[in-house]
Amino acid sequence: MAAESGDGQAQPGQARLEIKKGFPRSAFGSSPSRGRHQRPGKAVSAVSLVQTLMTLFSWFELIASGLITGGIYALVALGLNLQYGLMRILNIAHGEFLMLGAYLTWMAHAVWGISPLLMVPVSFLVLMALGVLIHKLCFRRLTATSPNLDIFEARGLMVAFGLMFLVQNFASFMWGGDLRGYDYLTEPVKIGEAQFAGNKLLVFGLALLFSGALIALLRFTLLGKGVRALMQSPTGAQLVGIDTQRLHPLMFGIGLGLSGMAGCLLSMAYTITPSMGEPYTVTALIVITLGGFGSMSGALAGGLLLGVIEALGMHFTNPSLKALLSYSVFIAVLLLRPRGLFAK
Amino acid sequence: MAEPLLQARDITVRFGGLTAVDAVSADFHAGELVGIIGSNGAGKTTFFNAISGVIAPTSGRLLVTGRDLAGQGPHRYAGAGIARTFQTPRVFPDMAVAANIDFGLKFAGRKRKGSWHLRDEGSILELIGLQAQAALPAGAITPSQQRLLEVGMALATRPRMLLLDEVAAGLTEAEIENMAQLIRRMRDELDLTVVWIEHAVTTLLRHVERVIVLHQGRKIADGTPAEVVRNAEVIEAYLGDEMTESVA
Amino acid sequence: MNDRQVLIRDLLLLLAFAGWALALPHYGSEFVVSMALTCLMYVALSSSWGLFCGSTRYLSLATSAFFGIGAYTSAIALEKMAWLESIALGAGIAAVVAVVMGAAVLHLRGTYFAVLTFGMTELIRHAVTYFEKKVTGTVGRVLTVVPDRDTIYLTVLGLAVLAVFVSIVLRRSRFGLALMGIGADEQRAQTLGVNTRLIKVAGFAMTAAFAGAVGAAMAVRWTYIDPHTVFNPFIGFQTVLIALIGGAMTLWGPLIAAIVFSVLAETLRLQAPQVYMMSLGLLLILSVLYLPGGLASLRWATFSGWWQGSRGWLRSLGSEERKNG
Repeated sequence: MAAESGDGQAQPGQARLEIKKGFPRSAFGSSPSRGRHQRPGKAVSAVSLVQTLMTLFSWFELIASGLITGGIYALVALGLNLQYGLMRILNIAHGEFLMLGAYLTWMAHAVWGISPLLMVPVSFLVLMALGVLIHKLCFRRLTATSPNLDIFEARGLMVAFGLMFLVQNFASFMWGGDLRGYDYLTEPVKIGEAQFAGNKLLVFGLALLFSGALIALLRFTLLGKGVRALMQSPTGAQLVGIDTQRLHPLMFGIGLGLSGMAGCLLSMAYTITPSMGEPYTVTALIVITLGGFGSMSGALAGGLLLGVIEALGMHFTNPSLKALLSYSVFIAVLLLRPRGLFAK
Repeated sequence: MAEPLLQARDITVRFGGLTAVDAVSADFHAGELVGIIGSNGAGKTTFFNAISGVIAPTSGRLLVTGRDLAGQGPHRYAGAGIARTFQTPRVFPDMAVAANIDFGLKFAGRKRKGSWHLRDEGSILELIGLQAQAALPAGAITPSQQRLLEVGMALATRPRMLLLDEVAAGLTEAEIENMAQLIRRMRDELDLTVVWIEHAVTTLLRHVERVIVLHQGRKIADGTPAEVVRNAEVIEAYLGDEMTESVA
Repeated sequence: MNDRQVLIRDLLLLLAFAGWALALPHYGSEFVVSMALTCLMYVALSSSWGLFCGSTRYLSLATSAFFGIGAYTSAIALEKMAWLESIALGAGIAAVVAVVMGAAVLHLRGTYFAVLTFGMTELIRHAVTYFEKKVTGTVGRVLTVVPDRDTIYLTVLGLAVLAVFVSIVLRRSRFGLALMGIGADEQRAQTLGVNTRLIKVAGFAMTAAFAGAVGAAMAVRWTYIDPHTVFNPFIGFQTVLIALIGGAMTLWGPLIAAIVFSVLAETLRLQAPQVYMMSLGLLLILSVLYLPGGLASLRWATFSGWWQGSRGWLRSLGSEERKNG
């Protein structure tokens, strides 16, 4: 009957979970209608049991929200990884195409009333076509004229730099700098005691789906095997007949398509501005560093991991430290484990 | 015998799970003309990389006139008088041939004393026979000329010991003879110790006085060419009859 | 032209440039002087950037970090120190930070280095913002001690001339040769006796010192600075763009490009700032693709080469049509 002594004392972790601002609505704490015997022992044990369950759900919500953001990170990072791992093109304009996908979806929805869900494959295809075009116009020439790999990488980086300027300001020019957005599936969905916005769940689900699809494509199809062969040994792959000329633009396009699709998904739940892309480029860079350059499953794991780290970090420290935290993780990994967290 | 120029003591180089060089010890004295042979993957180039500072050995000591340089950067080795060439000639393609030579003179060669033949870029160009190409960009000369330029660049650091990594590869018979003459000249007139890795065993054995044989990272023989070709272990590891024929 | 004649020519050009810039405030309007000031700022920034990053091909995106460090230094130091001393202090602190950053980061290959310097710049920016929010409580600083316009102009002019002068001198020195060797083949240069680590850190610190000095000088123009303005990554981006388009490996390229872009920026800025930025991006892409040596490497031969190339391209289009038709 009597409660264990230490039970009523909330552990430090618990207490912080409860009192921190912005923490989900789980209403534990004093509930006047508890109306029980005044025997502290029994009340305390019942309350603390509920508290523990509540805390578990709060943790769940926290981590889950981290995973949701992480899912998007993974999707964007996969595209970037494909481009760098295969072609050594470090596309720092990647996030700008995400932004284009978001704007495209918004325009389709606001101007023509097309459902954002429909825009998911459309934005993928449009951005993929754009990617193929960009590769043919810009990067193909670089492959032909660069004397060695280091110079090619440096020049590729510079071209991507230029693209970043071009695309970001084009968007600013076309659509103005005002924040835009629309509502879509905003009703909350409950899982247990935790709540999530419907659209964010959808975003997460689709992000995971497409990430998984890409990884499956690379692992199980002939095309995918060709790509992986190219990544490991460019000359060897060409010797066995894999067509680099057609594969590179296609893969670049797919990478950009993934980015655009991520933008479309993001537009469902977040605001859209011309500068929204850049943080995602940076985050994608951090993710592929964490996961190891060239590793697809590493990018997926790294993305989810980063999302969770950010969520936990923001919660336990200070939201304005989020950027600081991300960059610190990034620099630390690049310096200490440059082959990625998961490298053997 | 005087103190050796370079003493390699139990040099081991490991890459992850692979042991490329396994506890190799060797002494190199002033004025020697030594060859290093071994089949592909025997660890020759890795050993070179270790004794020139390009790779830090996983363990072992490298004493250059008494000082242990293991783990230090290549520029320290160059400063201590150990120069090397690379298997594929690594010249500075956009700079003129003369400027390529001048580079070494301006850096490691600055504080080092060298023979009369290494007094300036003109004399080095004369030594290697590239005076006519002096003003051409290094990227524009033929591969065998680039080989010679490689040697010239190494000489410009006024070394005491020169490591040559497969300088004869891909050359014609006449060019190989030329190269071999140059190498002999370097040892005789410039007072250099020359260590020469070569895949073409027959060529090497004709010109060197001492041979070190590496096999799967270990040193399995170290002696005169005549001794080495009769060494049972070497014969077993290598080609056997071909070597005996060429030396006999 | 032999080497000595080139040196004299370069020094004379620099003198002429300095003279013209000196005379400008006396007959130019307020607007022109302001434009010239920005131009001189970028001459200093991109020339010093190009000297190190152009030769070694380690593309540093950290210019904004050093600029901001210099700005904050002068904002704090001006209350206690003289003008020139504050500038020197800004340069010094930026150089020290560069040594620390460089020692940690310069052993990495080109692209990693670029990305890392960008990450560190953003890290510094967010760190300063956070520090201000938590510790000082206020965001930004107001500069109370502000020298007159002419002093600022002369200082920035001096820095620009110094940057080009240092470029002229160092390119002819062993240090400049070492930088070129590092850019051409770093390992080879090492085996020829170059202490690449030391040289790289020194070069990096030099660019940082210039950026810090320029930041320290320009801070007073704004009278109120905050992390968002002085650590703005765009300053670093524009420096890099200007140096690359002008020709990072050349002496006069960054200067020429700085002038061109300052004019472009001011003319387009009021009507359509985005068009200016878009053109920057487009020009960079075109320059990397078709003119890797930058504007300074433009020769008559280049134009005829382009003419041939485009004719060949047109011809190939025509033959394709005939094939498909």
